[in-house]
Amino acid sequence: MLTLAFDTATAVAASALVDDGEVLGERFSRAVTLLEDIDALLRQAGAHPSDLDRLAVGIGPGSFTGTRIGLAVARGLALARDLPAAGVSTLAALAAGADRAAPVIDARRGEVFVAGPFAMKPDALPFEPGTTCVGDGALLYRDLLEASGLVVPPDEDERHRVRARFHALLAREFGPADEIQPLYVRAPDAEQMKA
Amino acid sequence: MILGIETSCDETAAALVTDSGEVRASVIASQAELHARYGGVVPEIASRRHLELVGPVAREALAAAGASLEDVDAIAVTQGPGLVGALLVGVSAAKALAWSRKLPLVPVDHLDGHIASLYLDATPIEPPFVCLLASGGHTQLRAVRGRGSSELLGTTLDDAAGEAFDKGARLLGLGYPGGASIDRLAQEGDPTAFAFPVAKLAGLDFSFSGLKTALLYAVKRLEEAELDARRADLAASYQHAIVTALSRRVADAARKTGLDRVAVVGGVAANSGLRESLPDAVFAPLAYCTDNAAMIASAARFVEPLPYPRYLDLDVYASRR
Ligand SMILES: [Zn+2]
Repeated sequence: MLTLAFDTATAVAASALVDDGEVLGERFSRAVTLLEDIDALLRQAGAHPSDLDRLAVGIGPGSFTGTRIGLAVARGLALARDLPAAGVSTLAALAAGADRAAPVIDARRGEVFVAGPFAMKPDALPFEPGTTCVGDGALLYRDLLEASGLVVPPDEDERHRVRARFHALLAREFGPADEIQPLYVRAPDAEQMKA
Repeated sequence: MILGIETSCDETAAALVTDSGEVRASVIASQAELHARYGGVVPEIASRRHLELVGPVAREALAAAGASLEDVDAIAVTQGPGLVGALLVGVSAAKALAWSRKLPLVPVDHLDGHIASLYLDATPIEPPFVCLLASGGHTQLRAVRGRGSSELLGTTLDDAAGEAFDKGARLLGLGYPGGASIDRLAQEGDPTAFAFPVAKLAGLDFSFSGLKTALLYAVKRLEEAELDARRADLAASYQHAIVTALSRRVADAARKTGLDRVAVVGGVAANSGLRESLPDAVFAPLAYCTDNAAMIASAARFVEPLPYPRYLDLDVYASRR
């Protein structure tokens, strides 16, 4: 079962090609060059787009535009090759790659996304002291988190990175890609103004 | 056959067009209702909606044409100008589609797309001609010397004509999009009742901000009851001023370039006042005035396609380079 997995919700776009649990390749770049990575992954594995069996795609939360790029790519691939797809929470994928540490993703505007998912101020996270926090939000607010007794691994620790192999691992229910919705968590700006 | 995708503003569209310009299918999902309560397009709401619609709209276009992707030779997509977040939905889906089937991808400029709405089956006009492109996002005059090549003659210095209609409609308490609601009410009004200003600029540029201000003051001067009675006159006079500004400039452009034929494209080309005031011009068919993907696929016929894998890192642009 050849699964193509990718996630563009955070600043680093992650992709992986996984064959029945065996990671054939994994790449990192930016959302707009995601298809270059996908192309390279398949070429390295000697595979053709028609060899793909299914897609696992990150649904955020994270950057609205970034998340949509990944989902739009999933919709295009699914339409072209009639592939089933599953959405995977970016928070869940981060946690799966970090021994179930608490994932903390930058939500901009001084907030982070945490499991729930919720958008919260980084100085008031509902975690036990001593909890390990991973993700770009944990790196961005390292000082605040450490001041509240939370543990943030060193910057270069790879647990901070979203890795698409975990999307392939976590993907459960495969269905039409068109029906996979992003986890925005926040309403669009205009909606907020009305509220 | 070319599959075109358009997501630059608030219409999610897909179309199938043959190499000779025959439209096999053109599907447009308008978001106008979604943005109506804000009186204009909200970029984040538009982008969210594009993501929901891009797959279904493309599938519907294929079904309507009775075609499959086997019949498609190239994917065309709007690369810009437009809302970046909205454009990225269409471009990302188009890149994925093209890559999966190793098809060439044709990035199309949205404004070239509007002009290419004139080369679809129903609209026979051949260059050279002067083209007025007037919509909610753009107001331009172009000298079109060949299919796929045009030269900018003039543009708006502030609002686009369609934006002027939208803002006028808001001042008059009418619905969005403003072009259609003002046009409707203007039928019952006197276009000479109010003397609204028409900007006098050197060259071939446009300006609509003074006109909008004039309407604001005209509305403010009227009592509530009086305003109700004069609303149709205000709409008719306001529309008349926009139409006069556009048609005068078209005449200026024709004189300066020596081109005697005129074509009008874009959402404002649907305006009945403009159609009356330019009786000799060729207007894009109503179905292809507002944003659509048939015009994008049409334009792709005159653009060098990017073969696989040259489009894999393709990005969008917000304004014309
Ligand atoms: Zn347009």
